[in-house]
Amino acid sequence: MSLIDNTRIELPRREFLKQAATVASGLAIAFYLPGGMAAADPKTPASATGFEPNAWVRVLPDGTVKLVVHKHDSGTGTQTALAACVAEELYVDPMTVQVITPEDPFFQTYIHPVWKVFSTGGSTSVSLEYDRLRMAGATARVLLITAAAQQWKVDADSCTTEDGRVVHASSKRSFGYGELVGVAAQLPAPTKVTLKDPAQFKYIGKLRHKRDAAAKVCGAFQYSIDVQLPDMLVAVIQRAPVVGSKLLSIDSTAALQVSGVRKVLAIPGRPDVLGGNLEGVAVLADTFWAAQQGRQVLKVKWSDSPLAGFDSEQLFSAQAQAIGDPKAQVVKTMTQGNVSAQWAQAATLIEADYTMPYKVQNPLEPICITAQVSDVSITYWGGVQVPSSALEAAQKVCGLDKAGVTIHELVSGGSFGAREAKYWLFEVAYLAQKTGVPVKLLNSREDEMQALFYHPATLNRIKGALDAQGRLTALQLHAVSPASPEQWEPGYFERPDHMDYSTTEAITAWDFAYRAPHLDLNWVKHESNVPSGWYRSVSFIPNVFAVESFMDELAHAAGEDPLAFRLANMQERPRHVAVLKQAAERAGWGQPLPPGSALGIATNQGYSSFIAVVARVATVDGKPKVEKLTCVVDCGLAVSPGGVEEQIYGGLMWGLGHALFDRLDIKQGRVVQSNFHDYRVARMSDMPATDIVVLDGEPGKPGGVGELGSPSVVPAIANALFALTGVRQRSTPLKLG
Amino acid sequence: MIAFTVNGERRELDEASPSMPLLWVLRDQLKLTGTKFGCGMGLCGACTVHLDGVAVRSCQVPLAAVAGHGITTIEGLSPTHSHPLQVAWVAEDVPQCGYCQSGQIMSAAALLNTGAAITDDSIRNAMSGNICRCGTYGRINKAIKRAANAPKEA
Repeated sequence: MSLIDNTRIELPRREFLKQAATVASGLAIAFYLPGGMAAADPKTPASATGFEPNAWVRVLPDGTVKLVVHKHDSGTGTQTALAACVAEELYVDPMTVQVITPEDPFFQTYIHPVWKVFSTGGSTSVSLEYDRLRMAGATARVLLITAAAQQWKVDADSCTTEDGRVVHASSKRSFGYGELVGVAAQLPAPTKVTLKDPAQFKYIGKLRHKRDAAAKVCGAFQYSIDVQLPDMLVAVIQRAPVVGSKLLSIDSTAALQVSGVRKVLAIPGRPDVLGGNLEGVAVLADTFWAAQQGRQVLKVKWSDSPLAGFDSEQLFSAQAQAIGDPKAQVVKTMTQGNVSAQWAQAATLIEADYTMPYKVQNPLEPICITAQVSDVSITYWGGVQVPSSALEAAQKVCGLDKAGVTIHELVSGGSFGAREAKYWLFEVAYLAQKTGVPVKLLNSREDEMQALFYHPATLNRIKGALDAQGRLTALQLHAVSPASPEQWEPGYFERPDHMDYSTTEAITAWDFAYRAPHLDLNWVKHESNVPSGWYRSVSFIPNVFAVESFMDELAHAAGEDPLAFRLANMQERPRHVAVLKQAAERAGWGQPLPPGSALGIATNQGYSSFIAVVARVATVDGKPKVEKLTCVVDCGLAVSPGGVEEQIYGGLMWGLGHALFDRLDIKQGRVVQSNFHDYRVARMSDMPATDIVVLDGEPGKPGGVGELGSPSVVPAIANALFALTGVRQRSTPLKLG
Repeated sequence: MIAFTVNGERRELDEASPSMPLLWVLRDQLKLTGTKFGCGMGLCGACTVHLDGVAVRSCQVPLAAVAGHGITTIEGLSPTHSHPLQVAWVAEDVPQCGYCQSGQIMSAAALLNTGAAITDDSIRNAMSGNICRCGTYGRINKAIKRAANAPKEA
């Protein structure tokens, strides 16, 4: 399925923008042809008697405008930002216009332009959809203007639009969009579409609010967990405790005696499906509470598994052994010069290992999905981030085809990668088919923690050489981790370039910021057989931690200021340099600090955006404390400045969590942690002061921000702690005293 | 039969188990789904409601314990959804995914009910039992201050 490989966007994105530019020049306008949808896909969206010029705009005769947002919104404000891109060009208010999810989620136009699957992720929704959504709005507008001009028998150029109306100012006439749908729907595609001058934007670049806040503050907003259907059963699943364990026996006698429990069903595992579900036993009941009560008295016996000997604490030594192992699969992600010739000549040579443990996403709304299956159809209700996975479940579990799949898409209570897993779609499809009634699958928090879809534990080994003048002459990196997409796309590693772009973030030629004469950056593929999954910021997290910590180590070894050392080793990185300098200035870098406090700095790019973070730590009551995080962001055009700011704040919070808390242990193949008491996440009391500045970036090119904020936080804090205490910490969670 | 008051309305439950957590009574029996399930251990605060005006984690309160008491949920905080906190939450655009926000607002409302001075410290103390994974703590702080400073209703 999807290659949620964020980094890869950096290159193919240009191809996409080129295609969009072609559309903009009118050569590929067939893409936006009225009725072109029918030509492209036999399963067209349900046609109202309105005007549906393309995949994103619906105008009804009564003047109702509906904008389709084809991306999943997990709370990041995607619906508002994407609707605004269409609304801006259609001259309607994105805050009040109706927004709907796709009538047909598998309509070909909605496919992810890079991954070629129906999916949301990788901080790409705004950056990759911006151009074509604006085109969609502008194309619809031209058709509405043409329809009005024809009826008035005036030149279309003499007409304007405002707030859902076409206006002919000189004759003081106007039509509401709804009055034009009949004529507009019959018009041929326009040959020329002009986009708004960004200087005239009313919403893009100005949004400070999201559409759904009012419903989310009074308990009215509908989440997956709130879905209620007649005859619905609620399912909880006791999954195999160790990957590969087989179900030996179930004694459901006691469970079935619990009031409200209706059924106990074994769910076959799908090891044949990449990312497929483990074996499990489902308890189905009238309510979640009853199902959980039943589950408590369920007696299940599991077989042993080869993974029962797995201990995450021993993983790092196995990963270290993979470096230099001639049998290990190694991909050179960036090479120049000849590092090995430099080691002997170095005035100073340092080497360090950085490790990070397994981490779990923990969206606050646990995974929840409802499905109902008939002989020919499956209907899902809930937050489906990857419709392609819902389709795969329909096909592989129920034997249904695409025409039978309906998704009632809901905003989810957070994802952070968790909803890109597919095990739960497979499970619910199985249970819904088996029972014939609607089944709502709901994870407990313990299930979330133990769902085995983790951010992998990693080891990064870096070696660097300085000459007598303290200049960086050579740098070598081995980033050891499993391949993210291996489980999603078999044979991925066998591609011509062997590259796993989602695992090599921040260590390739385009996103590794530093230039030494000799560079040798490597990804060492090391699989632990613990499934890994998507996780907000993916491999930027370990790779930026290692690189940005090590730059700090080198600077101190060279006797240089860590900011100056970074700047001296960057070439042709103007956006990187700009955010670094400005973040440093705002945080008072180089200025006298209060006694007992220190600063640390770090930077990363990603998703076509740039960030620098300065952490201030201070000794409070004899222990170091993170007091402030200052950051400067360049994300190009911020479509929704309010949204960018909150995504960055959230990213800083995640980074703080990675620095201080996130750690999931596996002992004897079993996950140790189970809930928020033994897996800490950042609370309000943990948050330092924050200072977030979003620069006015290059107009016309929005970058991604959902995953930009966290990676630099860990090294910024680690570097500040070193400045404060003189102790270098290379493993997270970092220790405060 | 267990009787109690929810959002000012007397409710009598005949068939509910006395040990069933209030959270599930509210959600599944009374269909008040604004109160959310997050952890089931009183650790995340998503299920926060008021028991006689005091914030409690409804996943940890058995139905039997509320007999004869008054419960307020997010749905009943204001009949018109215009409690100063709700207004402030929208003005500050606090919710991201929004899943934790019912609980956040109920914890904040309980803080305001105490009449305590609204400071960064009192906000932090009152709100640190409520987890937000999106990262809305900064805006929650602003919204509580905004609500505390809002003109009182006549």
